[in-house]
Amino acid sequence: MAKSSEESPSRRTFMMVVIGLISTVIGIALAVPILGAVLNPLFRKRDIVWTKLGKISDLNLKPLNPKFVPVYFRVKEGWSVNTLPRQVVVVKQVNGDLLFFSNQCTHLGCPLHWIAARQKFLCPCHGGMFNVTGQVVGGPPPRPLYQWVHKFGNDKDTVYIQNKFKDNPKDRGI
Amino acid sequence: MFKQIQNWFDERIGLTKVIEEFNGERIPRRGGWAYTLGSLLAFLFTVQVVTGIFLLFYYVPYFPIARNATYFLKHHVIFGNILLGIHLWGAFTMIFVILIHMARVYFSGAYKKPREMQWIAGMVLFSVVVVLGLTGYMLVGNENSWWTINVLTNVASHTPFIGGFIREIARGGTETSVLTMQHIFAVHVWLLPIVVIMFIPIHLFLIRKTGHQGMALEYKNSKISEDDEKRWLKPDGTVPFFPDQFYKDMIVSLVVFAVIYILAVYVGAPIGPMYRPLALNFAPEADWYFLANEEILKYFPGHGLIIFSTFLIPSIGFGILFLLPFIDRTKERSPFKRPAATVLGILFLLLLVYLTLIGGEPKAPATV
Repeated sequence: MAKSSEESPSRRTFMMVVIGLISTVIGIALAVPILGAVLNPLFRKRDIVWTKLGKISDLNLKPLNPKFVPVYFRVKEGWSVNTLPRQVVVVKQVNGDLLFFSNQCTHLGCPLHWIAARQKFLCPCHGGMFNVTGQVVGGPPPRPLYQWVHKFGNDKDTVYIQNKFKDNPKDRGI
Repeated sequence: MFKQIQNWFDERIGLTKVIEEFNGERIPRRGGWAYTLGSLLAFLFTVQVVTGIFLLFYYVPYFPIARNATYFLKHHVIFGNILLGIHLWGAFTMIFVILIHMARVYFSGAYKKPREMQWIAGMVLFSVVVVLGLTGYMLVGNENSWWTINVLTNVASHTPFIGGFIREIARGGTETSVLTMQHIFAVHVWLLPIVVIMFIPIHLFLIRKTGHQGMALEYKNSKISEDDEKRWLKPDGTVPFFPDQFYKDMIVSLVVFAVIYILAVYVGAPIGPMYRPLALNFAPEADWYFLANEEILKYFPGHGLIIFSTFLIPSIGFGILFLLPFIDRTKERSPFKRPAATVLGILFLLLLVYLTLIGGEPKAPATV
């Protein structure tokens, strides 16, 4: 018969090491799949799609007068293909160039309001303010408005938008 | 008959002795009503668990459907409005009572040696309950939920080094999606309640272990010097937990429950409109307990300072509160004999109330 831990200190040490080892093995074996499930989003490639926004000539743009145009991205999200509705703010500059902003505040992502009387975008959450060209003019936002990645079709009139912001290395504010 | 059943159990597991052991704990007698808050919280948590379980009979954690499932529960299920109302007002009451409980413990110096670990366990419970409140707000699936998820995960993304990863894990991807809702659901319904269920017994066990020491007024007639730790072991008078203290606990629980019930029936849980990511004139609002934090987010403009409002101030503030017993290591307990701690506590409470009040003000005109 094996000695009890009270009879032999070395046997006691041995038992404690075995208990510790078994706990560690079971713990690690459980932690691996749990960590996989939790960290999975970090290893997923984002589904990036081009979506047609419409024809610029249909928008009747006036200079420095933003138009909110909805765009519907069909993207894979987890186990399903979903529609992500997003706003594209189209601004025609004085020289005729077009800007395609997101309507989300660059501070923490709230939906901006266009206040026509003051010619500003205002964030209803924490009071961020942007002018019509997307520059911060007040409040806490750390950077100018995000611009959607876009391209023109062959007719130079139809615009396609990608569900991705220009100049946004950390993928903030999507 | 009853006696026979009792004997049957006593012969096998000594049930009567266990119950007497539990109920016979002696409690200092002067501050009885002030000690009902902990039991009240245990009661409120039980109510949350019970109502929450039956809300799950109808709830669907899927973004376009969640709000409609909640709406159905409120308007088409018999007494569903009361069930939902109790869960909402119970949660609000719970957070409010935790704050009062914490203030009571702070001002009476009850976190001091040997009770440091109780304060830590209590802080764990406090933070988990606040996160439970926030995730519950997100689960309704209405317009406020949608923007709260976006804003709070963006706040988390400003954590140094790992912020981006935290947001991506919480959302289940780069964007708020079906997986985000599923994660929040799992956290609200399983993960955090289990943490609470584990920490309540720890909190209770530690109280029993160190003895019910109570407030300084329990020791008015004590002859042991104030510097001697033994002073805090012998209150002037004690009563058994059952039925003296339990009776007071039940009365307070009934009054608070009645208030929750009336609020549930006559005010109910507002469900609000379906979420619209395309909203042009929607102003998201936080629940009342988050308004002070919300107010801080309005300051500190620009890229360099944003970390103060999103990470540094909330986490340092929380850290100080968490480690309070290790920061304030004086032995004095009476709030009148440690004016610095008392004044600081009152100032902190006033600041919290002030930030909450101005945080609730509309920040921008919805439409002009």
